[in-house]
Amino acid sequence: MSSFRDLLGVAWTGLIARKVRTLLIMLGPIVGVAAMVGAVGLTESAKGDLKAKLAVLGTNLIIGQAGGSFGSQNPTFPDDVVHRVEAISTVTSAAATTDLASVVALPTEGGSDFYQSFPVPVRAADLDLPSVLQVPLIDGRWLNPSDIALHARSVVLGAGLAKQYAFLPGETRTIKLNNANYGVVGVLGNVALDPDLDNAVFITQWAAKNDFATDGKPNKIYVRSVTGQTQQTADAIPTAINLGGPDQVSTQVPSDVLKASSQADKTLQQTALFAGLLALAVGGLGIANVMSISVIQRSSEIGIRRAVGHSRSKIASQFLLESLFVGILGGLGGAALGVGVVYLVSAIAHWVVVIAYSRIPIWMGLALLVSVAAGLYPSIKAARLEPLETLRLG
Amino acid sequence: MISQPGGALLELEEVSRVYGEEVEVFALREVSLQIFPGDFMSIVGPSGSGKSTMLGLLGCLDLPTHGTVRIGGQDVGSLDDATRSRLRGDSIGFVFQQFHLIPHLSALGNVETALLYRDMRPADRRERAYAALEELGLGERADHRPVQMSGGEQQRVALARAIVTEPLMILADEPTGALDSANAALVLEIFAGLESPERAVVMVTHDAAVAETALRKVSMRDGRIVSDERRSVAAR
Repeated sequence: MSSFRDLLGVAWTGLIARKVRTLLIMLGPIVGVAAMVGAVGLTESAKGDLKAKLAVLGTNLIIGQAGGSFGSQNPTFPDDVVHRVEAISTVTSAAATTDLASVVALPTEGGSDFYQSFPVPVRAADLDLPSVLQVPLIDGRWLNPSDIALHARSVVLGAGLAKQYAFLPGETRTIKLNNANYGVVGVLGNVALDPDLDNAVFITQWAAKNDFATDGKPNKIYVRSVTGQTQQTADAIPTAINLGGPDQVSTQVPSDVLKASSQADKTLQQTALFAGLLALAVGGLGIANVMSISVIQRSSEIGIRRAVGHSRSKIASQFLLESLFVGILGGLGGAALGVGVVYLVSAIAHWVVVIAYSRIPIWMGLALLVSVAAGLYPSIKAARLEPLETLRLG
Repeated sequence: MISQPGGALLELEEVSRVYGEEVEVFALREVSLQIFPGDFMSIVGPSGSGKSTMLGLLGCLDLPTHGTVRIGGQDVGSLDDATRSRLRGDSIGFVFQQFHLIPHLSALGNVETALLYRDMRPADRRERAYAALEELGLGERADHRPVQMSGGEQQRVALARAIVTEPLMILADEPTGALDSANAALVLEIFAGLESPERAVVMVTHDAAVAETALRKVSMRDGRIVSDERRSVAAR
């Protein structure tokens, strides 16, 4: 053990005695690892905002739409659609909405012609819709059981619509739905996974039935599944809803589109990774080359060490350890440089930094492997030097 | 053949060293020599007489083509490299004409090199190396690198490196060859001081003055020993 400690000391002293040379041979692993860390970091960070958004939204929201049998104009789900969907074991929560196509919403007294030509979608929504969507209210509150119990005519606006209506936070505003006055109680935040909801007006199912005589059958359902089971759940939903009947149900996982666009440019990433590997390989050749020359330059030192009793294997280990140190330090330096570059470029380009920290040890290991492999030949060469020749006796 | 009771420290028996494959060149030809504890000897001869080859074989840095080299009765040729290296480190201290100090190490570091891989605590190693430097009057130069020292000082560092392991034999190759006369005299004085009943001091030289300081003089020519003379201390 003390022998190994001695060896470490000798190798380390040998390295720091020639700082410039050491730095030069370290450039290979530094550039190689930095290129790989940078390549993946930069291509991922360029899509970092989408990834961050995806992480917040989750990838387990499923939207089901009633398709209806052939010929039906306004296809709907059964009344108990939420109950049916929640029977699927991988469903964690669900909420339904009903499109009220016959209801015209008027934000102000004037402009009724405009709003009749370009109607604002009105939706009767379940009380737990925001929690299923995982979207907070940006103002006021959502519809609640008191609205139903007290028969209150409450309405919540989508975030886009609130902006369009110039609704101010906390403002007391009344809008007309088919001549009935409804009080705005809150504004729902942006629903990135279903932007249609941003421009909608939400009322309770009770109000829909009572004021607009709808049958209350929902036609759209929002479902959250257990993470990792989203696609299987989406596939099971149509069966759970129509129970073998003729009704058609289409499902989609809206995050899939976002997920696809958040994927980094793989071709670019692979090209840059390849460049990094190339740099590492060239760096390895550099290490082998410089260390071979160094062995010749240090032949006198090798001769002395042999003369004072250091064995061939100790000499080989000394040089191999030097290349090991080069690999370790070069790998660390490269990783630090790569991470630094990703942070710097991301700061300039206003990207969200994404760094594959779990892959950095692999690249550093690769740099280490290349360095040690490159040091192998010079080490053997050093060990094979005949002390008698290097010491030039007599 | 000179023999002495108590057994030889180092022994060459019918040793030949041949270089070249197609054309064989005998650097040493059937040489036998015994070196005993207490020997203070010089090996002299003109260029090409086989002195350097002899030094390589005596120092275990080379192996004979024919014949046997024994250290403490052990056949050096039968040992693997690690064992032979350890034996060399333990038994022999080298001093070279060109000093051969490691340039990036301090005087202390150079002396410590001889004590590496010996299962020794770094502090003990440093202490022993420092003591050896002190013994040769270089305590204050311990932190200096070879380039910061004179030739005489460098040779004394090399001497400290040679004695720090307390070897059975000090093997010197033209120890004063690269020194001015004042430093040469100082180094020779140190060599004379190394004389001890347990240790052998062997100097390979072509300098008659250096050879004259020794009590035993082995002369070589054309790869053979032509004379092996002993003198008394009084005759020095």
